[in-house]
Amino acid sequence: MKIKNIILPFLLIFGFIACEKEYIPNLPTQSDDIVVEGYIEAGQDATPAYVILTKSLPFFREIKNANNLFVTGAEVWVGNGTDSIRLQEYCWKDLTPEVRKQAAKAFGIELDSVSANFNFCVYIDFAQRIKGETGKTYSLRIKTADGKILTAQTTIPRRVPIDSAIFIKPPGVNNNDTMAQMRAYANDPKGPDFYRYFTSVNGSAYVAGATSVTDDAFFDGINTKFNLFKSEPRGAESDPSVFGLWKRGDTISVKFCTIDKAHFNFWNTLEYNSNSGGPFSSYTRVKHNIIGGLGIWGGYNASYLDTIVPKN
Amino acid sequence: MNTRLYLLTCLLCMGFTPALLSQNFTLSGFIKDERTGETLIGVNVYNKASVAQGTSTNTYGFFSLTLPKGQYTIKISYVGYADKEIEVDLSADIQKNIAITEGVVMQEVVITAEPKDKNVSNTQMGTVTMPVENIKKMPALMGEVDVLKSIQLLPGVKAMEGSSGFYVRGGGIDQNLVLLDEAVVYNPGHLLGFFSVFNADAIKNTTLIKGGMPAQYGGRLSSVVDIQMKEGNNQNYGVEGGIGLIASRITLEGPIQKNKSSFIVSARRTYALDLAQPAINKTKFAGTNYYFYDLNTKINYTLSDKDRLYLSGYFGRDKLIFNAKERGFKFELPYGNSTATLRWNHVFSPKLFMNVSGIYNDYDFQVDGGQDVFKLKVFSGVRDYNAKLDFDWFPNVSHTVKYGVNYTYHRLTPNVASFTNGDQNFTNADKIAAKYAHETALYVADVWKATPRLTFEYGARLSAFQHVGPYKSTKNDKQYTSGEIVKTYTGFEPRIAGKLNVDAVSSIKMGVTATTQYLHLVSNSTSSLPADVWVPSSELVAPQRGVQYALGYFRNFKDNVWETSIEVYYKDLKNQIDYPEDYVGQQAEDVENSFVFGKGRAYGAELFIKKAKGRLNGWIGYTWSRTLRQFPAINKGKEYPSTYDRVHDVVLVGSYAINKKWDLNGNFVFATGNTFTPLKSLFFIDQKLNIDYGDRNSLRLPNYHRFDVGATFTPKPEKTGFKSSWTFSVYNAYNQQNPFFVYYDIQNSFEKGTAKATAYQVTLFPIIPSVTWNYKWQQKKMKSDPEHSGEK
Repeated sequence: MKIKNIILPFLLIFGFIACEKEYIPNLPTQSDDIVVEGYIEAGQDATPAYVILTKSLPFFREIKNANNLFVTGAEVWVGNGTDSIRLQEYCWKDLTPEVRKQAAKAFGIELDSVSANFNFCVYIDFAQRIKGETGKTYSLRIKTADGKILTAQTTIPRRVPIDSAIFIKPPGVNNNDTMAQMRAYANDPKGPDFYRYFTSVNGSAYVAGATSVTDDAFFDGINTKFNLFKSEPRGAESDPSVFGLWKRGDTISVKFCTIDKAHFNFWNTLEYNSNSGGPFSSYTRVKHNIIGGLGIWGGYNASYLDTIVPKN
Repeated sequence: MNTRLYLLTCLLCMGFTPALLSQNFTLSGFIKDERTGETLIGVNVYNKASVAQGTSTNTYGFFSLTLPKGQYTIKISYVGYADKEIEVDLSADIQKNIAITEGVVMQEVVITAEPKDKNVSNTQMGTVTMPVENIKKMPALMGEVDVLKSIQLLPGVKAMEGSSGFYVRGGGIDQNLVLLDEAVVYNPGHLLGFFSVFNADAIKNTTLIKGGMPAQYGGRLSSVVDIQMKEGNNQNYGVEGGIGLIASRITLEGPIQKNKSSFIVSARRTYALDLAQPAINKTKFAGTNYYFYDLNTKINYTLSDKDRLYLSGYFGRDKLIFNAKERGFKFELPYGNSTATLRWNHVFSPKLFMNVSGIYNDYDFQVDGGQDVFKLKVFSGVRDYNAKLDFDWFPNVSHTVKYGVNYTYHRLTPNVASFTNGDQNFTNADKIAAKYAHETALYVADVWKATPRLTFEYGARLSAFQHVGPYKSTKNDKQYTSGEIVKTYTGFEPRIAGKLNVDAVSSIKMGVTATTQYLHLVSNSTSSLPADVWVPSSELVAPQRGVQYALGYFRNFKDNVWETSIEVYYKDLKNQIDYPEDYVGQQAEDVENSFVFGKGRAYGAELFIKKAKGRLNGWIGYTWSRTLRQFPAINKGKEYPSTYDRVHDVVLVGSYAINKKWDLNGNFVFATGNTFTPLKSLFFIDQKLNIDYGDRNSLRLPNYHRFDVGATFTPKPEKTGFKSSWTFSVYNAYNQQNPFFVYYDIQNSFEKGTAKATAYQVTLFPIIPSVTWNYKWQQKKMKSDPEHSGEK
């Protein structure tokens, strides 16, 4: 199954008939780190600052109900240097069907798949009492019900938008008239910038690209062009023949964000980590930016590119 | 340091005084194979009446034996060859070239070309010589005879399965000095290291030094693999080759001028994927191919009795062409080594032998490819110009002195990348540029037979390394001009070994070896990959330093039929280099900016029992060892076992000559499972489960074991001089599913609250049978002429 993705083409070439079987590792069973996933955003239609708290899991073979992973009853504070506000906790079970719809769109939850005991919980600043602003630093302080303290800091860097994009016929002999490759143009300002992008098709939730982050080490301070790949929906197996390509006629949106260095390091190591583990690569430790736990407290400065992929 | 040097000088002087007191004469010359004219390495030459009065031939087949005036019966012995005795009246210096003939004994019963009791009598510990004829008989993966994999069957040497990269006594892959005719081979592996670059048909001799590295070798911490290419038959023309499952070989050799000069050309190329091209072209990967090839050539010329000239070269490439026409994606990945060695041997006097070498070697790795207007190019490599001057001085029967000087100019290019998007070009060349360095070493070493029972080998190597410009400092932005010194490091590397003969069949040996390494190969993977980059010591990277202490007891039984030894060692390694645990490969930065530094130690005991003679021969090796590393920036500063820490390691190698036509070979290997860094926990981010890893290398894979078996069928040679043989081998004969690595497959549905995590162990090499047909044709021996015997 997965082996094809992992073993380098070399090996298949020589017909080493690699075989695999399940391996039951003798692993430590205790693990109760708090995992933070929180963001604060600046820019148009900014999502309010929110934090999701979960517990890490020891190695398991199968879980039927992962809903008890959410850490509820914690105090979650966000500060901008002058003010500090406490985020309010909302859980799926307490929401009206209408609000659920909105939440599903905001968090990329597929309503059709939601199980009966699904109980997603989030700490959120609905009223946007603290707004994300360019250049500001935001602190996060969490005190869990059992007294654990976690802290983090993030900065919202300057905004860099995509200037424009064109769609071209995909390269290669796969003469697919229904798909197009996006070529985007952006003007990177002088000095280090870090980017992360998400895409949405026909009004779906924004999903991050498979390799969603980059720094500007190779194109600092220049006006440049690059291929921008459509993200795969979460949990979908990607089809290499159309990976990253856009369907002609679709209404699409690219959410293009600048992030700070620690935020970049987190995603860069996380994405590298999930791609490593092959026969030759060693493990990669994720660079979390949370003191006292795992995860990320990240600032985004978002801009959007909305367009329709031309029919031809 | 000065005191140590002074002591060394005194020691050196001390030994030589007796030589001045009596009248001595010297018998010297070259020893060669009568049939091929190839010089022979390590042949024992001694006074039959007093075995202690003896010597052995050096790498060029030269010997020098100084004895008091008198009549002697000199015995020449070399396993696999018929003993020879010559009568010598030593009343003046005598120069005599001696030819010996392969014995009537069947070749296959010879297991090493060492003098019969070398195990006990040699001062150096942990030195093993393997003649290529024996290596060829061992069962091999896919039938490809592999010099480096045979070495891995010796105690103290470990490797990842199937890999030609190896670890000696707890040292890293980059700590092995791999030499082909004195030229450093920076990447001895083809196909991700699954095959070594050494074509066995072109190889004469392979020596592994894992213990006390003699002072003439340096620049690496852990071991030396010294490989000599054949010189070519200077008597008759011959063709040799083989056809295997994945590759074919052909070797041509013969005299250019009989008795004076000869040539050898040897080539090997894989074709498995060339044959598969029609099938591949029907897929969406049409045009994809992979192959590797090697070319070895050597010519030698005997200018006079005193002068010999050798020119040898190696050129090898791997090339992967990947083509996905569906997406218009194509890249080529060529990499390989090339080396050239020019040597001049000169015999100044019966007691003084000199070798001058000029060596060029190069390893480069490239990626070139892209899609549409987007193109990528990456280049990395090492290129050396090396000059060496080595002397062997045989002042008297008690001393053999080696001294010399070695200079290398290195150019090391890390991954220099350039991209284009059709309009603009991007490069990291402003931050990453080739580094240049001078590496110099002086050495002197003496083997001193202090008493018939006690021998010392002591010496030292003084080394210096200068990183020079052009270079832009990342510390202070200083721009160094071409040749300007950026940083200088020096090393004093004493090498001391001693041997005490307990009795005629047993000895105790000990040794202390200090080594310094200025070039480093830092790998983020568990194996060595062609893309791994060699980096020099620099402002940021200090040289690796190591000291090894070893002690051993050696004993032979039943007239040297059984050789046994037990060796213990402790190795202390400083300035070890690794990547940090969160390293993701930063193309825009020089790798040295990412390095973290630490230390290591390794210790162990090696038991070796060898049956060197008889129809059934082979060895059993058992190693108990630990290999540990400690880096402040890794594993929270806690000491951890290295990836190649194997506690127990057992090897059985056997060969049985059934009759003149058939012989049977087998290897069994058992080893403690490799360490790996296990998953500690899983955590949700972006609705997906991700892996948090536990302590580095804190878990082990299941134990590893494997049995390989092979048989060689050699029909009676035809009268035309044509010989052929079939080698059948089965790798992993009982199809043990040894895990090569473990990976996790994690699936979850956020909405359903369900998740599945599965760990898989992957076996790369199940049972793999193979067959190889080898052939050899030799021009019939010309009518014997008196010259040809080699004796004058």
